[in-house]
Parts: sequence; structure tokens; C-alpha cells
Amino acid sequence: MSRMGDAALAPVRSVGRSFTDIALQTGGIAVLALQILRRFFPPDIDMRELRRNLYNMGNRSVVIVAISSFFVGITMVVQATILVQELGAYSLVGWGSAYIVLRELGPVFVALMFSGRVGANNTADLATMVVTEQVDGLRALGIDPISFLIVPRVLAMIVMCFTLTVIGDAVALGGAAIIADRMLSIDIYVFWKGVRDLVHMWDMWLGLVKSVGFSVIIAMSSCYYGLNVSGGAPGVGRAVNASVVTSAVGIFISDYIITFLIG
Amino acid sequence: MTRVEKRFGRTWALRGTDLTVPEGCFQGIVGPGAAGKSVLVRIVAGLMRPDSGSVTVLGEDVTQLGEVALQKVRSSIGMLFQGNALFDYMTVGENVAFPLRRLMRLTEEEIRERVAERLARVGLGGFEDRIPASLSGGQKKRVGIARATIAHQPLIIYDDPTAGLDPVTASKIFEILKAEQSGSGATVVAISSDVDSLVKYTDRIAIMDKGLVHFCGPLSDAYTHEDPFVPAFLSGEYRRSA
Amino acid sequence: MRGRLDASAQAPDEAGDEGRVAPFWEGPPRSVGAAFLDLWRAGLALWSVFIRTLYYTFRGRREKGDVLKYALEMGNRSIFFMTVTMGFTGMLFVHQAAYQLNQITGDLQLVGAAYIELTIRDLAASIGGVVLATRVGAGIAAEIGSMVVTDQVDAMRMCGTDPVEYLVSPRFIASVFSGTAVLVYTAFIMVVTGMISANLYFDVNPKIFFNFSFVDWHEVLTGLVKCVAYCAAIPVVSSYCGLSTFGGSEGVGWATTRAVVNSAVAIILLDAIISTSAFFIFY
Repeated sequence: MSRMGDAALAPVRSVGRSFTDIALQTGGIAVLALQILRRFFPPDIDMRELRRNLYNMGNRSVVIVAISSFFVGITMVVQATILVQELGAYSLVGWGSAYIVLRELGPVFVALMFSGRVGANNTADLATMVVTEQVDGLRALGIDPISFLIVPRVLAMIVMCFTLTVIGDAVALGGAAIIADRMLSIDIYVFWKGVRDLVHMWDMWLGLVKSVGFSVIIAMSSCYYGLNVSGGAPGVGRAVNASVVTSAVGIFISDYIITFLIG
Repeated sequence: MTRVEKRFGRTWALRGTDLTVPEGCFQGIVGPGAAGKSVLVRIVAGLMRPDSGSVTVLGEDVTQLGEVALQKVRSSIGMLFQGNALFDYMTVGENVAFPLRRLMRLTEEEIRERVAERLARVGLGGFEDRIPASLSGGQKKRVGIARATIAHQPLIIYDDPTAGLDPVTASKIFEILKAEQSGSGATVVAISSDVDSLVKYTDRIAIMDKGLVHFCGPLSDAYTHEDPFVPAFLSGEYRRSA
Repeated sequence: MRGRLDASAQAPDEAGDEGRVAPFWEGPPRSVGAAFLDLWRAGLALWSVFIRTLYYTFRGRREKGDVLKYALEMGNRSIFFMTVTMGFTGMLFVHQAAYQLNQITGDLQLVGAAYIELTIRDLAASIGGVVLATRVGAGIAAEIGSMVVTDQVDAMRMCGTDPVEYLVSPRFIASVFSGTAVLVYTAFIMVVTGMISANLYFDVNPKIFFNFSFVDWHEVLTGLVKCVAYCAAIPVVSSYCGLSTFGGSEGVGWATTRAVVNSAVAIILLDAIISTSAFFIFY
């Protein structure tokens, strides 16, 4: 092929390559998911590892989740007030901020924080273990790395992301109520009445279902990129980056799909 | 430097270290791993601050200086790092030219001339446009040496110039260092764990272990020093028993 | 612990706790307290990086072309990613809002107007900013972090160059311009995909959807201020995380993580501050 043709085809080729890459990674994640599922029949889970992971992950992220949820709550109540002011119905402020926090922003922001804090750390951890041949060491000892390393982490991440979303929702709504009362002169009782009368339980459950979906995506992509690290020490940094980016894309796409299917 | 102490958490890197390096000499510092050699030169270069003690470099006490004044002292020190620390997104020529561009105001023509001269001196003439990743370990070291010496600083520090090199390349590197030093008259401090090659080229030597300097003086005195660790380390007995 | 930023150099003092087992109830308060102390120290160090960045942005010497190079790199790296994620987000928000309104009033005339207003004032900048931080921030921290662990930053300091001047300030300028452009583009994408969603699933006419009557100049201003503030915060926070890397390649992984999370926290914090001040100034 001539050089001109080569140059003209370069963009096509790079698009094609990124599609095959995406297909390869999605397939790899699916295979890993099947391998994990098989460990549940019969259940083969290391309980000590599970408890240790739960403790570490929760401990590491609870403060940051609480702080950022608080500020998300503040921002949302301010935005809701501006919108509602145009309609003149202050009883809707509580509903507006609770609706958007519970259904959308609570789960999404907690998941993004969780992916940056816990998911990325999980990838770095696993990738370092692979690069320094600790995973091969486990295999040599006859220990199955999936049931010893991966399954407890995945379970712990799902449980923790759910718990943190509950905490985050509560802190965000509390922050919103306080700011509404103190700074926007909307009585805390009016705020609460709006939440109680207009928000359905289903709004909260939808958000929590989402958080489970997000946590599965974070857990799978962080474990996948951690286990499939290549290129020695610098590869660890690349793996972390890829895991965070994939989680973010996955969170937004699945957010759409979940809302569309059951919202 | 007098009574320098530095610790990281509970680990002491330097425990009251004293060392004096006379101007214009080739000072070697040797010692087993984790003796505190690298920490020592980092403190001298002003890249780390000691927990206590004072360090006088080129007439200035670097422990007392603020960041701006410290930058001035650093500018008069050339340094070769253990891992070379070549800027991997620049070519070899740009790497070597970096100190010139940042420290002096020269025209492009002058910079190019001096870079070419310096690279030729370390035996890498014509390598300007290569990128560091394409070089061998010994070649990278030489680029590092060229970068450390190009601005003709009065004090040059080499942090383990032969780390990870085979003995033949290592002795070539030491020959370059020695030739550089006698050519420029700069004070040179070289750290090495490779005692046998280093002693062939230095005039003064310091021996460190576990954060303390056991001996510092002319090489000829070291073999008859009263501290039994010193001659033992030089002759290799210590290393064999360890 | 080698070659850290001066501002962040503190030796961890563990001598006091030797040989003592903490009772379990001390665990949570201690970890919360430690988190706040760390936050405070990090905040101070971050402030110093920020001030130095500003100083060098106006006073420093810059290599020609650096700013342009970084700006192109950031734009290229994030545009596809932002299109996908924020496109879905835009569809989703309109879907949520229209669905809800359909149940309460059934009148979808103002969905577009309210959505466009909210997108311009807040959503495009703040959600886009957090997403941008995962891409751009992680990249910056990884680049600078790997230069720190290979001593390249120390080598720079030996040549009389403040790494903030040479590494941070060009990235800062690049991000303020190209990041802001990306976020403005994000707002555009969100509005367009929102319209598609409204049209496909709720039969809202695009002409009715594109209703800019709610958008005042001060809403555009608030949105722009947010974009610029976030795009200024991302490189500063991420560079700070990169510069305080220690401990080999694992440290670089850590630095990337911290860059992403801390940039996101910074954005959420700035969002709350700017939104609240805008509320009191304009309403």
C-alpha cells in the first residue's frame, strides 16, 4: 500500500483498534465475572479476607464520602431553590433536592468517590501483587487466587458501596436541610414535609439499586485491570488509570440503562 | 558538616555524622548498603533537610537557608543521580543542555557548541538526537555525567555512578570522572558501594556504616587506621564475613 | 520518603505509640481525627503550590510550545470520553425530569427551558468537572509522579528550577483554557442529547425544547466561573498529588488515586461555594 493510503487509513485504523480493545476488555471482564460466580456454587469465600477488606474499604472512604455528600447536598438545595423560586412553591424545595440526591447524584457521586478511592487502590494493590509475582506464589501454594483475593474484594466493595450510599444520602439530605433552614430561610419543617409527602420510597430504592450496579462495575473493572497488568512497574500506574476511567464510563452508561429499565 | 542527624519515622539514617571535604579534591564515600550515603549527599545538595546539625556547602549553611537562597546554592552543584534521572521526554542533547538553559543566558549557538563538546568528552559524540530510552545503562550514565558537569559548577556530586554496571563499564566511568575532575579542578564527591574500583581513582576516602562516618582522610592512612572496621572493609574481609 | 516537596516534608512521629494497643473505641475517632489533620496539612501544602503556580504563571520563564502541547494533549485525551459519559448523563437527566413531570402535571412545555438553565448554571460544569478530573487529573499526577520517583524532579531542582515553574504552571494555563473549552463543549453535548431523549421518548418538539428564556447573563457567568475555577483546581490539586509522590511505582499509583479523589472533592467544594455565593449575589 502506498504511503498516502497509509496516512489516510490511520484514523480508521485507530478507531478500529480502540473498538477491538473495548471488545477485548468487556469480554475479559465478563469472563472474570463468570469465574467469580462459579466460586459461589458451592460458596468458597475466605471470611477473614472479607472482613479485613470490609474494614479497610469502609475506613478509608467514609470521611471523604461524608464530606463530599454534604457539599453535594448544599449545592443541590441551592439549585432547587433557584428553580422553585420561579414557580413560587417553597414546599417543593425539599422534594426537589431529595429527589435528585436520592435518585441520581447521591449514588453517582458516592460511586465516583468510591471508584477513585477504593477501586483505584484495589487495582494498584492487585497489580503490584501480579508484578511482584505474589499471585503466582499463591498458585504455587495451591491457593486459588480468585477465591482468596478477588471474591472477598468484590463482595466487600458491593457491601461497602451500598452502605456508603446510604450514609452519603443521609448526610446530603441533612446538609441540604440545615442550609435551607439557616441560609435560605426555608423552615426545616417545610423542607421535611416536602420530602415526606412527595418522595416515594421507590426513589430511594432506585438509588440504592443503582449503587449496587455501580459497585459491581467498579469491582469488576478494578479487579480486571489489576490482574491483567503488563509491563512491570510503570504498568501499575497505567492499570490504575484505565480502571478509574472504565469505572467512570461504566457508571454513567449503567446509570442510564438502570433508570431507563426500572426507573 | 557537623553532627548531622536525620531519621525517617523510627529509622535513623544518619546518627551524628561528621565529614569535611577539602576544596578541589576527589572525595570518595564508601560503605555497605543502607549506610546513609545517599541521604548524606541529598542533604548536602539541599534536597532534604536534616533533623538537626549543620551543613556548610561552599561557605553557606544550607540548613539555615530559605527556599530561594537554597536554589542559588543548588545551582552551583552538579549532581548525577543514582538512577540517572534523565528527562525521558527530551533528547540527549536537550537533557545535557537543560542546566545551561536554566542557569545561564547563552545563545542557541553557544549551547549547541558546549553540548557537543561535553558529549564528545564523555565519548558520546553525535548522540544529541537520540532519546534516553534507546541508550544502554553505561551510555545513560555518561549522559548524566555530561549533564552534571556542563555548567562547570564548583561542586559535583555523583550518587553511585557505577550502580548496576558491569566491572569493565564501571572502570571506564571512573576514568571519565577522574579525567573530568583533574580537568576542571572542581570538588568532587562520589559515592559508591564498589570499593575496589573507587579506591583506584580517589585521593581521599570516607567510610560510612549505619549512619556514622568511621574514617575520613587520605586513602593511604585508611589501611593503618585504629578502628578495625576501616581496614577490614577496604580489604574486603568485612564483606566476606557479612 | 525521598525528594518530597519542601512544603509537605514532615517526618511521621510514631515514637509515642510504641508498644501500646489502642482500645477499639479509639479507632473511629482517631481515624476521623487523623483524616481531618491530614486534610489540614494537605490544604496548607496545596495552598503553597497554588500561590507559586499563580506567581510563575505571570512571572516565570516558560519553554515555548509547552502550554500548547499540554492543551492539545488534554483536549485530545478527554473529548471522546466526555462525549460518551456526558452524552448519556444528558439523556438521563431529561428522561428523569420528563418522566416525573409527566406524572405530576403532564405538561412538558418547560422541560427544555428548565433543563437548559440548570445545565448551563451547574450540571455541565460540576458533573463534567468531576469526570474531567478522572481523565486529566489522573494523567497529570501519573506524569509528574513518575518524574518524582525517578529523581527527575530533583534533577530539575538541582538546575535551579522550581518544578512548580517548569511542570505545574504550563499545565495550569493549558488546563484553564482547554479544560474550560471542553466543559463548554460538554454543556453543548448535554443539551443536544437531552433534546434527543425528550424528542424520542416524550415527543417534545425540538423547537419547544430549545427554549433559552430562563437563561440570563448571570447564569452563563456563574457557569463560566465554575468551569474556569474547576479547570484551575484540577491541575493544581493533581500536580500537588504528583509532586508529593513517594515510594516507587506503587507510589505513582497512589498519587493518581489521590489526584482523582482530591480533585473531585475540590470541585464539589468549589461548587457549593460558588453556587451559594451566586445565589446571594443574583437572587
